Amino acid sequence: MKRFYLAHERAILGAIGVVLFLMLWEGFERGWWAELLQPPLGPQAARFQLKPIFISSPTRIARMAFDMFFITGAIWKDIGWSSLEFALGIALAFAIGIPLGLAAGWYRRLNYAVEPFLAALNATPQVAFLPLLILWVGTGLASRVMIIVLLAVLPIAISALAAVRTVDARLVRVARSFSAGDALLFRSIILPSAVPFLLAGARLAVGRGMIGIVVGEIYGSSAGIGAMISQAGSRFETDKVFVGVLTIATAGVALVELIRRIERRVDVWRPQVAA
Amino acid sequence: MNFERLLIGGGTLVVFLLVWELCADSDAINPLFISSPSRIVHAGSALMTDPDFWNDVRVSANEFIFGYIAAIVIGVPLGLLMGTSRRLSYIFAPFVDTLNAVPRVTLLPLLIIWFGIGIWSKVAVVFLGAVIPIVISALSGVKTNEARFLTMARSFSASRTRIFASIILPGTVPYIFTGLKYAAGRALLGVVVGELYASTAGLGHMIADAGNMFQTDTLFFGVLIFTATGLVVVALLDRLERRFERWRPNVGAAT
Repeated sequence: MKRFYLAHERAILGAIGVVLFLMLWEGFERGWWAELLQPPLGPQAARFQLKPIFISSPTRIARMAFDMFFITGAIWKDIGWSSLEFALGIALAFAIGIPLGLAAGWYRRLNYAVEPFLAALNATPQVAFLPLLILWVGTGLASRVMIIVLLAVLPIAISALAAVRTVDARLVRVARSFSAGDALLFRSIILPSAVPFLLAGARLAVGRGMIGIVVGEIYGSSAGIGAMISQAGSRFETDKVFVGVLTIATAGVALVELIRRIERRVDVWRPQVAA
Repeated sequence: MNFERLLIGGGTLVVFLLVWELCADSDAINPLFISSPSRIVHAGSALMTDPDFWNDVRVSANEFIFGYIAAIVIGVPLGLLMGTSRRLSYIFAPFVDTLNAVPRVTLLPLLIIWFGIGIWSKVAVVFLGAVIPIVISALSGVKTNEARFLTMARSFSASRTRIFASIILPGTVPYIFTGLKYAAGRALLGVVVGELYASTAGLGHMIADAGNMFQTDTLFFGVLIFTATGLVVVALLDRLERRFERWRPNVGAAT
C-alpha cells in the first residue's frame, strides 16, 4: 500500500487536489456548504451558496459541453471559424517571420535596420493595435487574422534570428572554403540547424495565436470561440463561458504537444553537428 | 562598429518617419487611416493638458500596479514553496498547468461578471496574466539549484531555513527576474485587453474610443505610451537584476 502510494505520489496528490477543488466548487453551487454550516452559523450560512450564473459548477459545465458538442453541435461552427482565423494567421506569421528573421540574422546591416522596429513592437502589447486594424479593414475576418499575425510573428522572427546567429561558425567556414554559394550554404547548413529554434518559436507563437483568437473576436464578431465566450458572458451564461475557455485551453495544449512531438522527432534525425 | 549599428538603426527609423509623414501630407494615403508623426506629436501635446487623459493614465497605472504587485506577492512565495516542497508542487501543479494552458484573457467575461467593469476586473486579469510566469520561473529557479551546494550545506548540517536563505533564494533570483520581465508584458497585455473589452476609463479605453471616432493620432499616441511603458519596465527590471547580481557572490564562476 505504502509502496503503491510512493510510486504514484504525484498522481495521487494531484488527483486529490483537483477532486477537492471540484467538490468545493460544486458544493458552493448546490448549497452543500450552506447546509453544512447551517447549525453553527444560522441564517448567515446562506452566504455559502452562490448563484449558478455567478460560478456555474463542474457538472453544469460538463452537461453544457456535452450539449454543445454532441447534441446541438452549436460549437462546431465557432470552432471552424476560429480555426480558420488561427490557421491563416499562423501561416502568414510564418511566411513573414521566418524570412525576416533569417535575413536579419544573416545580414548584419539589415539586422541593424530592423532592430529598432522589432524592439518597439516587442515592448508594445500588440493587441493595442486592434482598434487601428479595425479602422483599416473592419471587424471581419481580415482584422482577426491580422491581430493573430501581429501577435505571433515576433516570436517566430526572433527565434529565426537567434537560429542563424548560433549556427556553428566552423561549419560555415568549411562550406565557404569548399566554395559553397550562399544558396547551398543556406539550404544545407543554416536551415537544418535552424529547425529546432523555429519549432521553439512556433510553440510560443501558438500561445500568442490563441490570445489573438479571443482578442480579435471581442469586437462585433458573430462567429468564433472568442465571440461565443464574450456573448455568453454578457448573457451571464457562465457554464457556456467555461466550455469555451476549456475548448481553447485544450486546443492550445494539443497543438503545443504536437509541436513537442515534432521537436523530439527532429532531434532524432538531425545529425549531431555540434558534438 | 557600434556606430554603424546606431547609424543604420537611427537612419532607418528617420527614413520611415519621413516617408510616413510624406505619405500623409501629400494625401497619397488618407491621413485619417495612418495619421502622421507630426499629427501624433500634436495630439500628444494636446492630451498633456487634458485632465481626462491623466485620469485614463491613472486608472491604467493603478490596474497595472495593483495586479502586478499582487502577482509578485503571491507568485514568488508560491513558486518557492512549490520548488522546495515536492508534495505541495504535486498538489498545485495541475492548477498551475491548467491556468498556464488557458490564455488568461479568455477569462475576462467571467472576471467581469465577478468584479464588474470597473478597475478590479482589470486588476484580476493583470494578476492572472502575470502570476503564472512568476510562479513557473521561481519554481524552475529552485529546481535548477546546484545539487553540490545543497549536499555540501547538508553535510555541514545547515538548517532548512539556513539552506533556503543562503543557497536556494540567491540562486533563484535570476530566474525570478526573467519571470518578472515576461510577466510585465503579460500584465500590460491584460491592461489593454481588459480595457478594450469593457471599461469606463483607462488608456485602452482611450485607444478604443479614438478608433471609433477615427482619431488615428490619439490612437497612435496611446499605443506609443504602452510601448514606452513596456520598454521602461523591462529596463528597470534589468537594472534591478544587475543590482542583485552584484552583491551575489560569484559562486558559479569557480568551476
